[in-house]
Amino acid sequence: MVTVKIVNGPISFYLNDDSGKQDGAELIFNGRVRATEQGKNITALEYEQYEGMAEAELTQLAKATCEKFPIHDLYCKHRIGRVDVGETSLHVVIWSKHRKEGLDAMTWFVTELKKRVPIWKWAILEDGRKIPSECSHE
Amino acid sequence: MKIKIKCFSQVKYALGTDELTLEFEMGKTTSQLEQLIREKADGKLDGVSLRIAVNQKYSPDEIELKDGDEVAFIPPVQGG
Repeated sequence: MVTVKIVNGPISFYLNDDSGKQDGAELIFNGRVRATEQGKNITALEYEQYEGMAEAELTQLAKATCEKFPIHDLYCKHRIGRVDVGETSLHVVIWSKHRKEGLDAMTWFVTELKKRVPIWKWAILEDGRKIPSECSHE
Repeated sequence: MKIKIKCFSQVKYALGTDELTLEFEMGKTTSQLEQLIREKADGKLDGVSLRIAVNQKYSPDEIELKDGDEVAFIPPVQGG
């Protein structure tokens, strides 16, 4: 089962209720905004999405990850809008029986997300100017 | 026919708008539309690879557009 959400505003992290009895591994990845972008100081990133397609692609990717790797669940929240330096822009939790498949699944999911989900960053510079981020992983 | 073009990131920056609606004769293809968009960008999209999405789905092959289609030229994505 996958849970995927794109949210405009601070991410509420997954709350562990210790109810999972079959999974020996729970992996949590938080992507945060760095203070520098291509050597320039920034105050924030502003995330832009292709509304509709971004969440559809992210959901499809989460399902593909669950099919490709022997994991049980994947929970993902991606933030859009302004995200200040230090704040979390991406929160992913994966549950699996053992750690290796969970780690492999997490790496693949985040790598693919950066290739196919139509979300972009604009860098907010210290002087307030907003420019397209040059950061890309393709 | 009318085609809606959604613009994001570098494409939005280059064209100065987040959406365009253009009218064409029938028979326009995705590749022809990309060429037109690159011309409108006046060099600002040179060297920028663009993937094409039609009606919110990636369209790896050249296709003929239909009236009412929504097209996005997707620059390298940057989620995460």
